Amino acid sequence: MDEEIKGKGVSRRDFLKGLGGGAIGTAVVSTGLLDTGKAEAYPTEATGTRRGKSVINLKVNGRGYRLEVEHRATLAELLRDQLGFTGTKIGCNRGECGACTVILNGRNIYSCSQLAVWMDGKEILTIEGLVKGEKLDPVQEAFIEHDGPQCGFCTSGQIMSGKALLLRQPNPTEAQVRRALSGNLCRCGNYNREVAAVLAAAKAR
Amino acid sequence: MAQKEFSVVGKRITRIDAYERVTGQAQYTGDIQLAGMLYARLLRSPHPHARVVSIDTSKAEKLAGVKAVIHHQNAQVPWASGGHTHRRYIFNNPVRFVGDAVAAVAATDRHIAEEALGLIEVKYEKLPHVLDPNEALKPGAPKISTDGNLSVGKGNFSAPIAEQWGDLEKGFKEADRIFEDTYISKHVNNAQLEPRASVAKWEGGKLTVWASTQGVSNARTDIAKDLGLPLSKVRVICKYMGAGFGNKNQAQDYDLMAAVLAKVTGQPVKVEFTREDDFIGMHGRWASEQHYKIGVKRDGTITAVELDAVTNVGAYRKQSGNLSGTDFYQIPNFKKVVKPVHTNTVVGANYRAPAYPQSVFGFASFLDQIAHEMGINPLEMFLKNRVRLYANKTPFTSNFLEECAVEGAKKVGWKEKWHKAGAAAGPKKHGIGMALGGYPFRPGLGAAAIRVNPDGTAHVLVGVTDIGTGAKTTMAIIAAEALGIPLNQIQLTNGDTDVTPYSVGESGSRTTPFTGPAVIAAAEDVRKLIFNVAAPQLKAKAEDLDLRDGKVFVKSNPSQSLPLGRAVARSGELIGRATTNPTFKGLAGKSFAAHFAEVEVDSRTGHVKITRYVAVHDSGTIINRLAAESQIKGGVVQGIGMALTEELLIDRFTAIPLNPSYRDAKVPTHLEVPEIEVVFIEHPDPYGPFGGKVVGEPPITPAVATVANAIFNATGKRIKELPITPDKILRAAQV
Ligand code: FES
Ligand code: FES
Repeated sequence: MDEEIKGKGVSRRDFLKGLGGGAIGTAVVSTGLLDTGKAEAYPTEATGTRRGKSVINLKVNGRGYRLEVEHRATLAELLRDQLGFTGTKIGCNRGECGACTVILNGRNIYSCSQLAVWMDGKEILTIEGLVKGEKLDPVQEAFIEHDGPQCGFCTSGQIMSGKALLLRQPNPTEAQVRRALSGNLCRCGNYNREVAAVLAAAKAR
Repeated sequence: MAQKEFSVVGKRITRIDAYERVTGQAQYTGDIQLAGMLYARLLRSPHPHARVVSIDTSKAEKLAGVKAVIHHQNAQVPWASGGHTHRRYIFNNPVRFVGDAVAAVAATDRHIAEEALGLIEVKYEKLPHVLDPNEALKPGAPKISTDGNLSVGKGNFSAPIAEQWGDLEKGFKEADRIFEDTYISKHVNNAQLEPRASVAKWEGGKLTVWASTQGVSNARTDIAKDLGLPLSKVRVICKYMGAGFGNKNQAQDYDLMAAVLAKVTGQPVKVEFTREDDFIGMHGRWASEQHYKIGVKRDGTITAVELDAVTNVGAYRKQSGNLSGTDFYQIPNFKKVVKPVHTNTVVGANYRAPAYPQSVFGFASFLDQIAHEMGINPLEMFLKNRVRLYANKTPFTSNFLEECAVEGAKKVGWKEKWHKAGAAAGPKKHGIGMALGGYPFRPGLGAAAIRVNPDGTAHVLVGVTDIGTGAKTTMAIIAAEALGIPLNQIQLTNGDTDVTPYSVGESGSRTTPFTGPAVIAAAEDVRKLIFNVAAPQLKAKAEDLDLRDGKVFVKSNPSQSLPLGRAVARSGELIGRATTNPTFKGLAGKSFAAHFAEVEVDSRTGHVKITRYVAVHDSGTIINRLAAESQIKGGVVQGIGMALTEELLIDRFTAIPLNPSYRDAKVPTHLEVPEIEVVFIEHPDPYGPFGGKVVGEPPITPAVATVANAIFNATGKRIKELPITPDKILRAAQV
């Protein structure tokens, strides 16, 4: 404490470490890569000198892409910044809100908490991919009818979690819907509407 | 206005922009990508109070991709709306709370910007700090503002906030019993889902800012003022925004930072906040400590209320810091002194119905407690003391608070279900509670323009943003109703200061009462033009014509008609416009509400489950039932979070916020929220557009107290400090 009073420089990194918060991005990156056995490709702390990139092949909304991605880029960033699928939102960037929910090989995931490089050979479905030509998905239709979006920022995520549920459980109970959507926060508090919409979509099919 | 048959108003209307919102097409500020755009991130103070001795940015600037670093030495731009008592800049020295902005970096991508933050070397000289508002008021406390820590500013920002009527002494003399107690509420973050972002671009001397703002007009005014630009040189655009609940009104420091960085780099810049930035750097609801003295007659009638309170507005006074929860009660003798106090904590400012839910919690909890101690049924207590005259003298434009309470009690089954507090058997205790609330309904300045196209379709131009309330849809409904054309013939453009007329900003439940009348007046204006061109075609006088369902017809003979498209086919375009500024003469406006909740409190774990929630509202005529119900539900959910779980915890020694994230701040999820039953008591208000009052803020106001009172009814123990967490419930059970 005392020496700090005399004016010790504190970098943001120390600060964030102290808070135990915002450095999450880095933490996810390093442990994640350890899992795929490519830890050496990425420094444990971003130094600015090693911004490695890899080429991956993936399918998004039925279309194939071959892309070079930065190792530290997340799937959410890949979708939004590189491919322009901005319907996928980032609300927290740390796996807490669900705004970034997309469907990966049939299951809903937080795209902010997946590295882009892990997507090699994977198939992603985003909110944009639910629309078939002019036709909306029944979940989207139901979200319109039941006033699903207030501000709409959580809506893509709610819809994708609802869709993923209906893919594996076409006739869910209300409790199952709530549980399936429980990883998707709505600060507008429109939970009743979102649950009603998913239940209605299940009936509509 | 007499209730007439409406063609669109009052129906369940899906939002006019719902398609965009469910397909991912709606473009929010963070979605904007411009050619050559840079990304910016902020460095924040780790200290609650410190002088910035030096900032060395040389290492950061050397990092490949970094284009600019700004801080208090090279970018001393005032942020006028950021503080009203002592001057606030976009970067301040000294820094006054953990999270105060120190520098911003613009780089070619966000990761580089983030990396560069770690390379900035800042030397701080720590200053003594104070976190507790009571400590801050003591002589010798570290001074946050040069004028001291009581936040004294000009006009609306004077301090202490004092209000008084009647004769307090006489009131207390008339009382059979006098009660005194203290209730405490905590800082809660607005936590809107869209993190803050701003995109700025200069073209010649003209600045365009894509802001995530609740009000494009006031954002433009503020940005122009702070940057010393004429209004014509600033354009603010906000088409979609992911909510704010009061923390995205006015211009924000990051809008100004984006503008400055774009200027110095010559490239468009997008500033992005992290979620943590949002929790620690912006603001939440001001915390409060409310000391009440209440005098009552034997039958429970209030004779006098004295409120002495401090509120914690943090390091800067952005808004009032007031407490207004006594508004819903008839108090013949009253005195209130609220002291907004500066501390070295994150700013406490507007969050949905800023001065209400925390103070309704205090007052309605205490009233419920008094009822308990005097053996009076709370429903009777609330009904008896409900407000009839604003400030004990001014009549309301309309007031159906009584009907709200009576209807709600019937619906929830109060008579059958209410029992003495703590009387329920078994480990899972049933409880039922209620409270009254509402929010001011005020008239004011609005503007609108309506263009009628030669095919009979119409284009409505309004400055309103739509922060999730459905304001665009509301305005389109009002336009359709006032014009007399079907809703699907209306296109609406909003939120662009170069294109759309002035709007007050979507805050304080002002959109419908301010801009609604302007839309009606603009419709009347263009209807006159339509009738002028239709009159010769229908061989009638303009004043004898009417327009309904897209048809112009002669009032005395409706079969003599023309489709609007034919009537105006050769007119090029007809433009109606209006700027309106209605007032209430000698009257006060308010929307009212009575809420009821049933809970189940597990006496072994302290866990609270809300099993039923009934919200009854008097908001005059409901313009759009579907969106209005959603607003009510949403306000209640936020109130539930505030009642049960939410609080920004600040470490007492380091002043560092400990839980600046969604998970740790514990905002409610799908699992905690019951079905919220919404009832509207609908009587048109004589002063509201089509009889409508306000909807957005009222629902959060009684929700916290309602849940608190239900918990009391279950446990028989009064928790006087928010949030009412399981540990507090268990501890209270032990004494
Ligand atoms: S942005 Fe991915 S969970 Fe919040
Ligand atoms: S609609 Fe705004 S967060 Fe869900």
